[in-house]
Amino acid sequence: MTARIAHVDDDSDIREAVEQILRKNGYEVQSYVSMQDFIDSLQNDANRPDLAILDVMVESMDAGLTAYAQIHKRYPQIQTIFLTSLGDMIRPYFEDGSHEWVCIMEKPVEPVSLLATINDRLKRREK
Amino acid sequence: MATTEFSWDNSDNQSIVLEIKGDRLKLSDDVLINNIRWFIAFRWVLIAALIFFEVLMLLASDSLAQMGISEHQKWPIVIIVVLGFANIAYTYALDHFQSSKYHSPSINLWMQIIVDLICLSVVVHYIGSTSTPISFFYVLHIALACIFFSTRESLYVTILVCVMDTLVIVIENFLITQTSLSILMSSHFSLESISRDNAVLWMFFLDILFFVVWYVVSRLSLTVRAHERHLLDAYKQINQAQVEKDQYAVLMTHQLKSPLDAIRSKINLIKGGYCGEASAGVNEALDKIDNRAQSMSSLILDLLRLERLKDTCLNTAVFKSVDIQTILQKCIDKLTPVANSKHVVLNVSIDNFVCKVIPDQLEILLENIITNAIIYSHDNASIEITSEVNQLNRSASIIITDHGIGIENKDLPNIFNEYFYSPRAAMHNKASSGIGLSIVRIAAENNKLKIKVTSEPGAGTSFTIIFNQIEFSLEKKETQLVSLAKFNLS
Repeated sequence: MTARIAHVDDDSDIREAVEQILRKNGYEVQSYVSMQDFIDSLQNDANRPDLAILDVMVESMDAGLTAYAQIHKRYPQIQTIFLTSLGDMIRPYFEDGSHEWVCIMEKPVEPVSLLATINDRLKRREK
Repeated sequence: MATTEFSWDNSDNQSIVLEIKGDRLKLSDDVLINNIRWFIAFRWVLIAALIFFEVLMLLASDSLAQMGISEHQKWPIVIIVVLGFANIAYTYALDHFQSSKYHSPSINLWMQIIVDLICLSVVVHYIGSTSTPISFFYVLHIALACIFFSTRESLYVTILVCVMDTLVIVIENFLITQTSLSILMSSHFSLESISRDNAVLWMFFLDILFFVVWYVVSRLSLTVRAHERHLLDAYKQINQAQVEKDQYAVLMTHQLKSPLDAIRSKINLIKGGYCGEASAGVNEALDKIDNRAQSMSSLILDLLRLERLKDTCLNTAVFKSVDIQTILQKCIDKLTPVANSKHVVLNVSIDNFVCKVIPDQLEILLENIITNAIIYSHDNASIEITSEVNQLNRSASIIITDHGIGIENKDLPNIFNEYFYSPRAAMHNKASSGIGLSIVRIAAENNKLKIKVTSEPGAGTSFTIIFNQIEFSLEKKETQLVSLAKFNLS
């Protein structure tokens, strides 16, 4: 079954790049401009993705982090990857910044490592 | 070969001694406890002086009697015993009882004041309330109460002092002499009444003095506390400003770096073949564009890192005990791809130890030094990471040695300066931002670490990070013997 991936970023160039990479590699991708759009889409069971790639600073400083807190609480089965310009610099914002739960990737989007991380996270989900 | 040792003195921030409880300003419990201990020590000195006086009385009572000092009463012994037991009780309560409704430093201090006042009243009674200036010792308690208690509580102490002093004077001048009055001659009666008038006058002026002292000292104390409160507010505002500054720095970093990330994401798409085949010339040009963009990205992130390290007020800057092996392993995991790209081998052989540091900052420090070692190494070289643990003076060091281009002697003292730029180093590493070692310096400063740098141009550089006051837990010692951390990553 094709894995469904949701991607939230307010930068259209990044959205295009991620979409292009994932579609070419056989994933089903749904892109969102704002966190609220993404959270609203989760109401519908059919829309629920296997994995979410979230930007951190969308609209506000920490929209990505608050959205993550909500999603992780309501839908713990959705794997999450943070794709942010700030990379590891956002780790202090997590109380328990263990690699087990918080996967942070630094922009720019790099096809090989992005696909490897997605694969790794999806495998965790199957476990 | 030149060696330079760097240590940066970072004086401790003074902790804030006041805490706001409701709208009243009181000294924090820590400060009270420190002063309670000081009072207890002071009381021991007083007890020792009394004991010395008593012993002197016993040994040389004759000669002292000749000098006009005679002592036949037992009250000093009672005072010594009471104060001694009370002192033991205060210390015990302070050490063994948790703060609760029935025991707090403030209650402890109140007990001390009451017991002291009773003892002092006994002393005043026997020495002479109106004939000697001993009553002025009451002023000491009023002043202390004004400093350590709120204005209202110190007023209670002052009233207590006045009541006790009045009682002592009344008992001494009106009650005790009353029995003898009936057998006194009339001439004596008038003498007695003069002394009574004097006693009333004495009592009146003393009480007024006590209230004046209370008023003056408590006013002063209020002024000082108001200033301290302003300081506390200012401190809070600075903290808040630091947090806002960090947010602003994060925002600016994001805004500056985002366009570069978008550009580099597109470059990666072309290089990954997602936009069709590109010619070798195009790929070469893209590599160059990407390299320049990458240097700029890392400079932007380094600036944020530097800003963050300077703000030690941030909540993340908390000292924790961590073992060095875990932190080093994390850094090495992160840097292995960089090392691999230059075919540089990292040889790690360290004895584990526990040190008290700000974990994130130590990680940044090690990461920067190891990154430098990799960057300034020649391809296919090796880097040695070793440790030296000195169990005797509880110090340890981590030594990171490369065999790269080295640092020239004249540059060595300046390498930790912000934006220091060495043309030779810049030629080797075009992406140098010049702030990597400033970051190391601030991290070392915040973590109270010393760094020794030994270098020989053309032969390599060795950075020694010196940890003082390392810890050894028993289990750690055992694991150390069993598994001497030895791992080789390439």
